[in-house]
Amino acid sequence: MRSLAYFVGTFLVALILGIGSAWYMIERGSPLTTTKVGPWSGWVSEGNPNADHYTKAHVARSGRLPLTSTFARYFIARTDSAGAALSSDCEYLIVGAPINARWWSLAVYDAYGGLIANPSSRYSFNSEEMLRHADGTFRVNLSRHARPENWLPSGTDDQHLVLFLRVYGPRETDASGIGLVAGDRLPKIERKSCE
Amino acid sequence: MRVRLPGLYIALGLVLAGLIHIVAVLALPLLAPKNGYARLASIGPVNTMIEIPPAAPGQQIMPMMAPDIRYAFCRFDLANGPVRLNATVADELLLIALYTPEGENFYSVAGADMRRSEIDLIIAAADQTVEEAGVDAPESSDNVIVVNAPVGEGIALLRLPLAGPSTAIYAERALRATSCSPHTKSG
Repeated sequence: MRSLAYFVGTFLVALILGIGSAWYMIERGSPLTTTKVGPWSGWVSEGNPNADHYTKAHVARSGRLPLTSTFARYFIARTDSAGAALSSDCEYLIVGAPINARWWSLAVYDAYGGLIANPSSRYSFNSEEMLRHADGTFRVNLSRHARPENWLPSGTDDQHLVLFLRVYGPRETDASGIGLVAGDRLPKIERKSCE
Repeated sequence: MRVRLPGLYIALGLVLAGLIHIVAVLALPLLAPKNGYARLASIGPVNTMIEIPPAAPGQQIMPMMAPDIRYAFCRFDLANGPVRLNATVADELLLIALYTPEGENFYSVAGADMRRSEIDLIIAAADQTVEEAGVDAPESSDNVIVVNAPVGEGIALLRLPLAGPSTAIYAERALRATSCSPHTKSG
Protein backbone atom coordinates (compact mmCIF):
# COMPACT_ATOMS: atom_id res chain seq x y z
CA MET A 1 0.00 0.00 0.00
CA ARG A 2 2.71 2.37 1.04
CA SER A 3 4.80 1.82 -2.05
CA LEU A 4 1.74 2.42 -4.23
CA ALA A 5 1.25 5.76 -2.51
CA TYR A 6 4.91 6.56 -3.17
CA PHE A 7 4.49 5.69 -6.84
CA VAL A 8 1.38 7.82 -7.25
CA GLY A 9 3.04 10.67 -5.38
CA THR A 10 6.16 10.40 -7.53
CA PHE A 11 4.04 10.36 -10.67
CA LEU A 12 2.07 13.43 -9.64
CA VAL A 13 5.21 15.37 -8.77
CA ALA A 14 6.74 14.33 -12.12
CA LEU A 15 3.57 15.43 -13.93
CA ILE A 16 3.65 18.86 -12.29
CA LEU A 17 7.38 19.28 -12.89
CA GLY A 18 7.23 18.06 -16.50
CA ILE A 19 4.20 20.08 -17.58
CA GLY A 20 5.19 23.10 -15.51
CA SER A 21 8.69 23.29 -16.94
CA ALA A 22 7.36 22.74 -20.48
CA TRP A 23 4.74 25.47 -19.99
CA TYR A 24 7.30 27.90 -18.64
CA MET A 25 9.86 27.26 -21.39
CA ILE A 26 7.18 27.57 -24.10
CA GLU A 27 5.33 30.54 -22.69
CA ARG A 28 8.16 32.61 -21.24
CA GLY A 29 11.23 31.17 -22.95
CA SER A 30 14.62 30.16 -21.67
CA PRO A 31 18.21 31.08 -22.50
CA LEU A 32 18.02 28.40 -25.23
CA THR A 33 15.33 30.24 -27.17
CA THR A 34 15.09 33.85 -26.10
CA THR A 35 17.28 36.86 -25.54
CA LYS A 36 16.40 38.81 -22.43
CA VAL A 37 17.39 42.41 -21.81
CA GLY A 38 15.90 44.06 -18.76
CA PRO A 39 12.13 43.61 -19.00
CA TRP A 40 12.27 42.70 -22.71
CA SER A 41 12.49 39.23 -24.15
CA GLY A 42 12.62 38.19 -27.79
CA TRP A 43 12.42 34.76 -29.44
CA VAL A 44 15.37 34.42 -31.79
CA SER A 45 13.95 31.69 -34.08
CA GLU A 46 10.27 32.71 -34.21
CA GLY A 47 8.73 31.75 -37.54
CA ASN A 48 11.89 30.04 -38.72
CA PRO A 49 11.24 26.64 -40.38
CA ASN A 50 14.36 25.30 -38.63
CA ALA A 51 13.28 26.52 -35.21
CA ASP A 52 13.60 24.33 -32.14
CA HIS A 53 10.53 22.62 -30.69
CA TYR A 54 10.10 25.15 -27.87
CA THR A 55 9.93 28.02 -30.34
CA LYS A 56 7.53 26.11 -32.62
CA ALA A 57 5.25 25.34 -29.69
CA HIS A 58 5.44 28.96 -28.58
CA VAL A 59 4.44 30.24 -32.01
CA ALA A 60 1.58 27.72 -32.31
CA ARG A 61 0.24 28.70 -28.90
CA SER A 62 0.63 32.42 -29.49
CA GLY A 63 -1.81 32.43 -32.43
CA ARG A 64 0.50 34.78 -34.31
CA LEU A 65 2.28 34.49 -37.65
CA PRO A 66 5.66 36.09 -36.94
CA LEU A 67 8.27 37.04 -39.52
CA THR A 68 11.65 35.37 -39.20
CA SER A 69 14.38 37.23 -37.39
CA THR A 70 16.12 38.27 -40.62
CA PHE A 71 13.11 40.47 -41.47
CA ALA A 72 11.82 41.49 -38.08
CA ARG A 73 12.56 41.25 -34.38
CA TYR A 74 9.84 41.20 -31.76
CA PHE A 75 10.31 42.06 -28.10
CA ILE A 76 7.75 41.64 -25.35
CA ALA A 77 7.72 43.16 -21.84
CA ARG A 78 5.37 42.09 -19.08
CA THR A 79 7.16 43.99 -16.33
CA ASP A 80 8.73 47.39 -15.79
CA SER A 81 12.52 47.75 -15.66
CA ALA A 82 12.43 47.04 -11.91
CA GLY A 83 10.69 43.70 -12.51
CA ALA A 84 7.18 44.54 -11.26
CA ALA A 85 4.27 43.38 -13.47
CA LEU A 86 2.88 46.10 -15.75
CA SER A 87 -0.54 47.14 -14.52
CA SER A 88 -3.16 49.57 -15.78
CA ASP A 89 -3.39 50.88 -12.20
CA CYS A 90 0.05 52.40 -12.60
CA GLU A 91 1.57 55.10 -14.70
CA TYR A 92 4.84 54.50 -16.54
CA LEU A 93 7.42 56.56 -18.33
CA ILE A 94 8.98 54.68 -21.24
CA VAL A 95 12.28 56.18 -22.36
CA GLY A 96 13.68 54.99 -25.66
CA ALA A 97 16.81 55.47 -27.74
CA PRO A 98 16.86 55.58 -31.56
CA ILE A 99 16.42 52.16 -33.17
CA ASN A 100 18.25 51.52 -36.43
CA ALA A 101 15.55 49.88 -38.55
CA ARG A 102 13.31 50.55 -41.53
CA TRP A 103 10.22 50.78 -39.32
CA TRP A 104 9.33 50.00 -35.74
CA SER A 105 6.32 50.25 -33.48
CA LEU A 106 5.65 50.12 -29.75
CA ALA A 107 2.16 48.93 -28.82
CA VAL A 108 0.33 48.10 -25.59
CA TYR A 109 -2.01 45.11 -25.17
CA ASP A 110 -3.92 43.37 -22.41
CA ALA A 111 -2.53 40.10 -21.04
CA TYR A 112 -4.18 38.18 -23.92
CA GLY A 113 -2.68 40.28 -26.69
CA GLY A 114 -5.85 42.33 -27.25
CA LEU A 115 -5.81 46.04 -27.95
CA ILE A 116 -7.19 48.22 -25.15
CA ALA A 117 -10.18 50.47 -25.91
CA ASN A 118 -9.63 54.17 -25.25
CA PRO A 119 -11.31 57.40 -26.36
CA SER A 120 -8.45 58.55 -28.57
CA SER A 121 -8.14 55.18 -30.39
CA ARG A 122 -4.42 55.23 -29.71
CA TYR A 123 -2.86 51.79 -29.38
CA SER A 124 0.72 52.28 -30.47
CA PHE A 125 3.43 54.69 -31.55
CA ASN A 126 5.58 53.84 -34.54
CA SER A 127 8.82 55.24 -35.91
CA GLU A 128 6.95 57.58 -38.25
CA GLU A 129 4.65 59.22 -35.74
CA MET A 130 6.54 59.18 -32.44
CA LEU A 131 7.39 62.66 -31.16
CA ARG A 132 11.14 62.61 -30.64
CA HIS A 133 13.78 64.87 -29.17
CA ALA A 134 16.59 66.34 -31.27
CA ASP A 135 18.91 63.47 -30.31
CA GLY A 136 16.39 60.86 -31.48
CA THR A 137 15.33 59.74 -28.01
CA PHE A 138 11.66 59.55 -27.13
CA ARG A 139 9.43 59.39 -24.08
CA VAL A 140 6.08 57.62 -23.95
CA ASN A 141 3.65 58.10 -21.09
CA LEU A 142 1.77 54.86 -20.48
CA SER A 143 -1.19 55.92 -18.36
CA ARG A 144 -4.95 55.62 -18.16
CA HIS A 145 -5.16 59.41 -17.87
CA ALA A 146 -4.36 61.83 -20.69
CA ARG A 147 -0.72 62.89 -20.66
CA PRO A 148 1.38 65.25 -22.81
CA GLU A 149 3.98 64.19 -25.37
CA ASN A 150 3.42 60.59 -26.52
CA TRP A 151 0.45 59.30 -24.54
CA LEU A 152 -0.22 55.59 -24.75
CA PRO A 153 -3.56 55.01 -22.97
CA SER A 154 -3.83 51.93 -20.77
CA GLY A 155 -7.61 51.90 -20.52
CA THR A 156 -10.09 51.95 -17.68
CA ASP A 157 -10.13 48.24 -16.80
CA ASP A 158 -7.89 47.00 -13.98
CA GLN A 159 -5.61 44.52 -15.71
CA HIS A 160 -2.08 43.49 -16.48
CA LEU A 161 -0.47 45.06 -19.52
CA VAL A 162 1.94 43.81 -22.15
CA LEU A 163 4.23 46.06 -24.17
CA PHE A 164 5.22 44.81 -27.61
CA LEU A 165 8.00 46.27 -29.71
CA ARG A 166 8.22 45.17 -33.33
CA VAL A 167 11.27 46.17 -35.34
CA TYR A 168 10.98 45.68 -39.12
CA GLY A 169 14.06 45.63 -41.31
CA PRO A 170 16.71 46.00 -38.58
CA ARG A 171 19.79 47.48 -40.29
CA GLU A 172 22.36 45.76 -38.08
CA THR A 173 22.64 42.01 -38.54
CA ASP A 174 24.88 39.24 -37.34
CA ALA A 175 26.87 36.93 -39.62
CA SER A 176 23.82 34.76 -40.35
CA GLY A 177 21.62 37.74 -41.19
CA ILE A 178 19.64 37.81 -37.96
CA GLY A 179 18.54 41.34 -37.18
CA LEU A 180 20.23 42.82 -34.13
CA VAL A 181 18.73 45.34 -31.78
CA ALA A 182 21.32 46.23 -29.16
CA GLY A 183 20.16 45.87 -25.58
CA ASP A 184 20.68 49.55 -24.81
CA ARG A 185 18.27 50.44 -27.68
CA LEU A 186 15.35 48.74 -25.96
CA PRO A 187 13.26 51.26 -24.00
CA LYS A 188 13.49 51.60 -20.23
CA ILE A 189 10.15 51.26 -18.48
CA GLU A 190 10.00 53.31 -15.31
CA ARG A 191 7.03 53.19 -12.94
CA LYS A 192 5.97 56.67 -11.87
CA SER A 193 3.01 56.09 -9.57
CA CYS A 194 0.15 53.74 -8.84
CA GLU A 195 -3.47 54.33 -7.87
CA MET B 1 22.74 -3.84 -0.50
CA ARG B 2 19.57 -2.24 -1.72
CA VAL B 3 19.15 1.23 -3.17
CA ARG B 4 17.68 3.59 -0.63
CA LEU B 5 14.06 4.17 -1.50
CA PRO B 6 13.86 8.02 -1.49
CA GLY B 7 16.76 8.17 -3.92
CA LEU B 8 15.05 5.69 -6.20
CA TYR B 9 11.79 7.65 -6.18
CA ILE B 10 13.59 10.92 -6.86
CA ALA B 11 15.45 9.39 -9.80
CA LEU B 12 12.24 7.84 -11.14
CA GLY B 13 10.40 11.15 -10.68
CA LEU B 14 13.04 13.10 -12.58
CA VAL B 15 13.11 10.67 -15.48
CA LEU B 16 9.31 10.72 -15.65
CA ALA B 17 9.25 14.52 -15.44
CA GLY B 18 11.74 14.68 -18.31
CA LEU B 19 9.64 12.36 -20.46
CA ILE B 20 6.43 14.27 -19.71
CA HIS B 21 8.25 17.52 -20.51
CA ILE B 22 9.36 16.20 -23.92
CA VAL B 23 5.92 14.82 -24.78
CA ALA B 24 4.26 18.10 -23.76
CA VAL B 25 6.62 20.20 -25.90
CA LEU B 26 6.23 17.95 -28.95
CA ALA B 27 2.45 17.60 -28.59
CA LEU B 28 1.66 21.23 -27.99
CA PRO B 29 1.83 22.49 -31.60
CA LEU B 30 -0.60 19.70 -32.56
CA LEU B 31 -2.91 20.49 -29.66
CA ALA B 32 -3.09 24.23 -30.36
CA PRO B 33 -6.11 24.40 -32.68
CA LYS B 34 -6.11 28.19 -32.87
CA ASN B 35 -2.70 28.88 -34.27
CA GLY B 36 -2.28 31.88 -36.53
CA TYR B 37 -2.88 29.86 -39.68
CA ALA B 38 -6.15 28.36 -38.40
CA ARG B 39 -7.40 31.80 -37.38
CA LEU B 40 -6.87 33.18 -40.89
CA ALA B 41 -7.89 30.03 -42.77
CA SER B 42 -11.38 30.13 -41.26
CA ILE B 43 -12.14 33.57 -42.73
CA GLY B 44 -12.62 32.85 -46.40
CA PRO B 45 -12.01 30.77 -49.53
CA VAL B 46 -8.66 29.73 -50.97
CA ASN B 47 -6.74 31.44 -53.76
CA THR B 48 -8.33 34.83 -53.13
CA MET B 49 -6.82 37.92 -51.58
CA ILE B 50 -8.69 38.74 -48.39
CA GLU B 51 -8.27 42.03 -46.59
CA ILE B 52 -8.00 41.72 -42.82
CA PRO B 53 -9.95 44.47 -41.02
CA PRO B 54 -7.62 46.86 -39.16
CA ALA B 55 -6.91 45.63 -35.63
CA ALA B 56 -9.12 47.34 -33.04
CA PRO B 57 -10.22 46.43 -29.50
CA GLY B 58 -12.38 43.30 -29.68
CA GLN B 59 -11.76 42.99 -33.44
CA GLN B 60 -8.53 41.10 -33.81
CA ILE B 61 -8.18 37.92 -35.77
CA MET B 62 -4.81 37.20 -34.17
CA PRO B 63 -3.47 38.28 -30.78
CA MET B 64 -0.81 41.01 -30.80
CA MET B 65 -1.89 42.27 -34.22
CA ALA B 66 -0.32 45.63 -34.98
CA PRO B 67 -2.83 48.48 -34.99
CA ASP B 68 -0.54 50.45 -37.31
CA ILE B 69 -0.08 47.78 -39.98
CA ARG B 70 -2.61 46.87 -42.63
CA TYR B 71 -2.80 43.19 -43.48
CA ALA B 72 -4.18 41.12 -46.35
CA PHE B 73 -3.71 37.42 -46.97
CA CYS B 74 -4.23 34.70 -49.51
CA ARG B 75 -4.60 31.08 -48.50
CA PHE B 76 -3.09 29.25 -51.42
CA ASP B 77 -3.95 25.73 -52.46
CA LEU B 78 -1.58 24.27 -55.03
CA ALA B 79 -3.57 21.08 -55.69
CA ASN B 80 -4.71 22.35 -59.12
CA GLY B 81 -1.50 24.09 -60.07
CA PRO B 82 0.55 27.12 -59.05
CA VAL B 83 -0.99 30.25 -57.60
CA ARG B 84 -0.11 33.75 -58.74
CA LEU B 85 0.14 36.66 -56.37
CA ASN B 86 0.29 40.10 -57.95
CA ALA B 87 1.04 43.31 -56.07
CA THR B 88 2.04 46.84 -56.89
CA VAL B 89 4.95 47.80 -54.70
CA ALA B 90 3.53 51.14 -53.66
CA ASP B 91 5.73 51.38 -50.64
CA GLU B 92 9.13 50.07 -49.63
CA LEU B 93 7.59 49.00 -46.33
CA LEU B 94 5.47 46.32 -48.03
CA LEU B 95 6.29 42.82 -46.78
CA ILE B 96 5.12 39.58 -48.35
CA ALA B 97 5.61 36.49 -46.21
CA LEU B 98 4.66 32.90 -46.99
CA TYR B 99 3.72 30.49 -44.21
CA THR B 100 3.11 26.79 -43.82
CA PRO B 101 0.04 25.68 -41.82
CA GLU B 102 2.42 25.26 -38.86
CA GLY B 103 3.24 28.98 -39.03
CA GLU B 104 6.71 28.54 -40.50
CA ASN B 105 7.70 31.59 -42.50
CA PHE B 106 9.44 29.82 -45.40
CA TYR B 107 9.76 32.80 -47.71
CA SER B 108 9.66 36.59 -47.32
CA VAL B 109 10.38 39.55 -49.50
CA ALA B 110 10.42 43.23 -48.55
CA GLY B 111 9.32 46.06 -50.82
CA ALA B 112 12.62 47.81 -50.21
CA ASP B 113 14.51 44.85 -51.72
CA MET B 114 12.32 44.40 -54.81
CA ARG B 115 13.51 47.43 -56.82
CA ARG B 116 10.52 47.16 -59.11
CA SER B 117 7.09 48.69 -59.10
CA GLU B 118 5.14 45.53 -59.62
CA ILE B 119 5.70 42.01 -58.43
CA ASP B 120 4.34 38.67 -59.60
CA LEU B 121 4.96 35.90 -57.17
CA ILE B 122 4.26 32.44 -58.54
CA ILE B 123 3.86 29.97 -55.72
CA ALA B 124 4.45 26.43 -56.97
CA ALA B 125 4.66 23.08 -55.26
CA ALA B 126 7.99 21.26 -55.28
CA ASP B 127 6.84 18.98 -58.14
CA GLN B 128 5.45 21.80 -60.28
CA THR B 129 8.10 23.12 -62.63
CA VAL B 130 8.35 26.65 -63.89
CA GLU B 131 7.59 25.49 -67.45
CA GLU B 132 4.42 23.83 -66.31
CA ALA B 133 3.52 27.02 -64.53
CA GLY B 134 3.77 28.76 -67.89
CA VAL B 135 5.75 31.67 -66.54
CA ASP B 136 8.44 31.62 -69.19
CA ALA B 137 6.89 34.51 -71.06
CA PRO B 138 9.98 36.66 -71.68
CA GLU B 139 8.36 40.09 -71.55
CA SER B 140 7.25 39.68 -67.98
CA SER B 141 10.07 37.57 -66.59
CA ASP B 142 11.73 40.53 -64.88
CA ASN B 143 8.83 40.91 -62.53
CA VAL B 144 8.24 37.25 -61.88
CA ILE B 145 9.54 35.44 -58.86
CA VAL B 146 8.90 31.72 -58.61
CA VAL B 147 8.77 30.35 -55.10
CA ASN B 148 8.77 26.64 -54.47
CA ALA B 149 6.54 25.93 -51.51
CA PRO B 150 7.38 22.98 -49.25
CA VAL B 151 3.64 22.54 -48.65
CA GLY B 152 0.56 22.08 -50.85
CA GLU B 153 -1.39 24.63 -48.88
CA GLY B 154 -0.27 27.71 -47.00
CA ILE B 155 -0.82 31.40 -46.46
CA ALA B 156 0.71 34.44 -48.09
CA LEU B 157 0.45 37.28 -45.59
CA LEU B 158 0.95 40.83 -46.83
CA ARG B 159 1.89 43.52 -44.34
CA LEU B 160 1.91 47.21 -45.05
CA PRO B 161 3.19 49.16 -42.04
CA LEU B 162 1.76 52.67 -41.96
CA ALA B 163 4.29 55.32 -42.97
CA GLY B 164 2.54 58.07 -41.05
CA PRO B 165 -0.54 59.02 -39.06
CA SER B 166 -2.84 59.60 -42.03
CA THR B 167 -1.59 57.02 -44.49
CA ALA B 168 -3.98 54.21 -43.57
CA ILE B 169 -6.25 54.98 -46.50
CA TYR B 170 -3.36 54.68 -48.98
CA ALA B 171 -2.16 51.45 -47.40
CA GLU B 172 -5.65 49.95 -47.58
CA ARG B 173 -5.96 51.03 -51.22
CA ALA B 174 -2.58 49.47 -52.06
CA LEU B 175 -3.56 46.17 -50.46
CA ARG B 176 -6.92 46.19 -52.22
CA ALA B 177 -5.04 46.43 -55.54
CA THR B 178 -3.26 43.13 -54.90
CA SER B 179 -4.59 39.90 -56.28
CA CYS B 180 -4.21 36.20 -55.80
CA SER B 181 -5.56 33.59 -58.21
CA PRO B 182 -4.82 30.20 -59.74
CA HIS B 183 -2.10 30.70 -62.31
CA THR B 184 -3.42 29.89 -65.75
CA LYS B 185 -1.11 28.61 -68.43
CA SER B 186 -0.32 31.24 -70.98
CA GLY B 187 1.20 30.93 -74.43
